[in-house]
Amino acid sequence: MEGSGDGEATRFRARIPRAVRRARWIGLGFRGGTTAALVAFLLLAVGFVLFLVRASLPEIRRTGIGFLFGPHWYVTAGVYGAGPAIVGTLLTSALALIFAVPVGLGAAILSAEVAPRWLRGALAYVVELGAMVPSVVYAFWALVVLVPYMKRVVEPFLLRTLGVGFGFAGLPLGQDVLTAGVILGVMATPTIAALSREALLAVPRERREAARALGATRWETARIAVLGPAGPGIAGSIVLALGRALGEAIAVVAVIGNTYQYPPSFLSPGTTLASWLVNGFSDAIGTQREALFELGLILFAISMAVNVGARLALRRSASGAEGPGPLRRWLGRRHRPGLPGVTAAAGSEAWWPGVIARRPRRILRRKVVAAVVVVLAVAALGIAVYPLVSLSRLAVENGASVALRPSFYTEPLPPPCLRNCSLGGISAPIQGTLLLVGLASLVAVPVGLCAGIYLSEYARGRLRTASGLVIDAFVGVPTILIGLFVFSAFLQYRPDLAQSAIAGGLALSILMLPIVARATEIALRTVPLTVRESALALGFPRHRVTTRVVLGGCRSALVTGTLLAVGRAAGETAALLFTVGWTPYGFSGWDQPVSAMAPFIFQAFWGDSTPNWVRDAWGATLVLLVLMVLISLAARLSLRSTNVALPE
Amino acid sequence: MAAKLDIRELSAWYGRRQVLYDLRFSVPDRAVTAIIGPSGCGKSTFLRCANRLHEEVPGTRTEGAILLDGQPIAGLDPIALRCRVGMVFQRPAPFPNLSVFENVAAGLRLLGVRRRDELDQGVYEALVAAGLWEEVESALDAPGVSLSGGQQQRLCIARALAVHPEVLLMDEPCSALDPIATARIEALIAKLRSAYAVVIVTHNLAQALRVSDLTAFFYLGKLVEFGSTDQVFHHSQEKLTENYVTGRFG
Repeated sequence: MEGSGDGEATRFRARIPRAVRRARWIGLGFRGGTTAALVAFLLLAVGFVLFLVRASLPEIRRTGIGFLFGPHWYVTAGVYGAGPAIVGTLLTSALALIFAVPVGLGAAILSAEVAPRWLRGALAYVVELGAMVPSVVYAFWALVVLVPYMKRVVEPFLLRTLGVGFGFAGLPLGQDVLTAGVILGVMATPTIAALSREALLAVPRERREAARALGATRWETARIAVLGPAGPGIAGSIVLALGRALGEAIAVVAVIGNTYQYPPSFLSPGTTLASWLVNGFSDAIGTQREALFELGLILFAISMAVNVGARLALRRSASGAEGPGPLRRWLGRRHRPGLPGVTAAAGSEAWWPGVIARRPRRILRRKVVAAVVVVLAVAALGIAVYPLVSLSRLAVENGASVALRPSFYTEPLPPPCLRNCSLGGISAPIQGTLLLVGLASLVAVPVGLCAGIYLSEYARGRLRTASGLVIDAFVGVPTILIGLFVFSAFLQYRPDLAQSAIAGGLALSILMLPIVARATEIALRTVPLTVRESALALGFPRHRVTTRVVLGGCRSALVTGTLLAVGRAAGETAALLFTVGWTPYGFSGWDQPVSAMAPFIFQAFWGDSTPNWVRDAWGATLVLLVLMVLISLAARLSLRSTNVALPE
Repeated sequence: MAAKLDIRELSAWYGRRQVLYDLRFSVPDRAVTAIIGPSGCGKSTFLRCANRLHEEVPGTRTEGAILLDGQPIAGLDPIALRCRVGMVFQRPAPFPNLSVFENVAAGLRLLGVRRRDELDQGVYEALVAAGLWEEVESALDAPGVSLSGGQQQRLCIARALAVHPEVLLMDEPCSALDPIATARIEALIAKLRSAYAVVIVTHNLAQALRVSDLTAFFYLGKLVEFGSTDQVFHHSQEKLTENYVTGRFG
C-alpha cells in the first residue's frame, strides 16, 4: 500500500520538470501575444493622433492660434476659423447638461432608492435601453417629433415668458441651438441615469440602514447616507455624458440648422465641431479639408480631456473615496474645540422637551418633502423615458407594416420612385451591416480581449495607468473622428479603398476595440485575488490561471461587453459616413462601397431619397430598435448569474 | 421593573422561511437585556422587528405584536418609532461623508433642530454620554470614518443617543472590535443602563454575563429560556440552555 503510493508520487514528480518547461514556453507566448495586442492598440491610438495633427498642420501653420477665434468659414476666400463651431459645441453641450443632469439624476434616484423594489430593475432597464438607441434614430425622432414641438410650443412660450433678457430672441424656427441642446440632453440622460444608479447602488446597505434606524425617510436616507459617497461616481457619469454630447454629430446635424455663425440667441441656427465635419467633409478639398481636420483635432482634444477627467473621477469613486468632499469641506462649519454653543453641563437638557413637542408636526413636514421628491423623481423618469416610448411608437406605426413582410428582408432596395412603386426590401443594408460588423468583430474582439487581458493580468504601474487612460479616452472618442481618420488614412495610402467595405469594417473595429478591451479589463478585475491565488497555489502556471480560472469566472461579463460593442457598431452612422460610401445595391466586394442599416436610414431621411425609401427606412429603424432590445436582453441574461457591473 | 417592550406572540418570516416563532417576553426599562444563541437563530431579526427595520426588506412579514410602553409599535409611525428606539449595528457605520460633529448631529437635524446652541449642546451631551467627548473634542471637523474602529462604534452610539431614544438596540456591537475597545463599550453599556432599556445581541457569552441583567436564549427562532442572567447562566431550567452556556454546542 505505502510502497505503491510512493511509486505514484515518484512517477508524478518525474513529470514536473517537463510540465514546467512547457508551461514556461506557453506562458511566454501568451504573454507576448497579449502584449502585442496592447501595443497594437497603443500604436493605433498614437497613429490616430499623429494623423490628425499632420493633416491639420498646413492650416495650423497658416492661421496659428487665431484659428481658435476666427469667426468665418468662407470656402471661396479660403478663410477659416473655429470660433462659431467651438462656441456652438460648448453651448449645446451645456444646454444638454442643464436638461440631462436633473432628469438623469431624478431617474437614477427613483430607480435606485425610492421606487418599490419590484419595479426598480425594470425601470433601470428601460432607462438603460435609451443609451443603446442609435444616434441616427434619435436624429430623425428629433426631426419628426422634437423640432415641430419646439417650434410650435416651447419656443413661442420661451419668447413670451423669458424673452430677450434670457437670450431667447428671433423667430421660433425649431431648428436651432436650443433644439440641438435638448436632443443632446435626451441622448445624455440614459448615460447619467445608468451610471449614477450604479454609483448609488455601490453604497453599502449598512449605511442606508444606519440612516433608516435614525428615523430618516427614504429621501433623507439618500441625502445623508447615499448621495455623498456616490458623489464622485455621479460627477463621473455627468462628465462622461458631457463627452458624448460634445462629440455627437448625426443628431446635431439634423436639428441645429447648420449655419456658421456665433449664435446671437438660443433660438438661432448654429453649428458644432462634429456637425460641421459631417456637413462639409465629404465634398471638401484642399485648404478647406485641412481646416476641417483642425476642427477635428480641436474636437479630439476637448473630448479627450473630458473623457480622461471623467474616468479619473469614476476611478476615485471606485476606490472608495471617504470623508467629506472638497465642496462640503469648504462650505462646512468649523467647530472650535469645546463647542461655543454648549452652555450647560451634560445632563441638563432643558431644550429637549421642546424638540419632542415639535416632533409630530416635523414628521408630517418631512413626509411631505419625501412625497414631493417622489413626485419630482417620477416626473424626471417620465421625461427620461418619453423619447424612447415616442420613437418606438413611431417606428412601430410607420415601420411595422413594412417590417412584417418577409420579403422585406430578402429583396433589394426598390428603385427610387414617386408613385405606384414596387415593393422592395432592405436586404442590401442588412447584408452590409452583417458583413461590416462581422469584419469589425473579427479584428476587434480578439485584439481587444488580449489587450484587456494584458492590462488586467500583466501590466503594472505607470504602463497600466497610462494605457488604461488611453483606452478610456478612445471609448469616448467622437465616432465622426474615427470615420475621418480611416477615410483620410486610406485616401493617403490606398485611395481606391477609401470608400469601401473594408474601410467601413476597419472604422467599426476601431470603434469596438476600446469597448471590448475595457469591458475585458473590468470583467477580469472582478475575479477576486483569492481565486487567482488558490489556483496559483495548486501549481497552475500564470497563463492557465488566466485562461482557465479567471476568464472562466467572468465569461458572462465578457459576453456582455462584446454584445454591447456589437450593438454600438450595428447602429453606428458617423464612423461609416465617409468610409463605406453609398450604394443602394448589395455587397459586391470588399473593395467596393457597401450600404448598411444606419447609413441607409441617414441617407433616406437626409440625402437623395424618395417616399418609398423613407418608408423602408422606418422599417429599418424598427429592425434596429428590435435588435438593440434583443442585444440588451441577451446582455442582461448573461449577466444575471454573475452580477458584474456593466462596463460603460 | 416596568416593561418597556412587551413582545407578544411575535413571529417573523423572510419570504417563506420562518425565522422567529411565537416569542413572548418583556424587556424592562433601565436594565440591560442580552439575547444569546447560536448563529442564525433570529437574534438580529428580533432586533430589526423592534424598530421595524425588518419590514424594509422585501418579502418579509411579521405576526404578533411588540408593545412599546403598552402601545403596539405597528400602530406608530416608523419614523417616530425609530426616534424612540435607537439602534447600533455590528459594523460601525458612520456616514462617510460627514464629520464627527455632523454624524452626531444628523438625527437632530432630521428632527428640525437648527439653532446653533441647541445643536452644540445636543452633540456635546451625546458625545459625553457615549464616552467619546475627550477623545474627539479637538477633532470635531475630522471625517467620522477617520476615527479608530472602537471610536467609530462609540460615535454611532452617540449618534443614536443624540435623539434621546428610550430603547437602545445593539446588534453585536463589539464583534468587530479588539478587546480594549470592547471593554470600553461594555463600560459604556453599564453606564447607559441607568437611563435606557438596552437590548444587546451578542455571540460572546462572557460579555452577556458581564453586562446584562436579563438574558434571553434563542434557539432556531424560538425563545428557549428567559430570566435573570444569573439564573440563565447558573441555574438553567432547560437542558438546551445549559448545554449552550457551558459551551457544549454553539
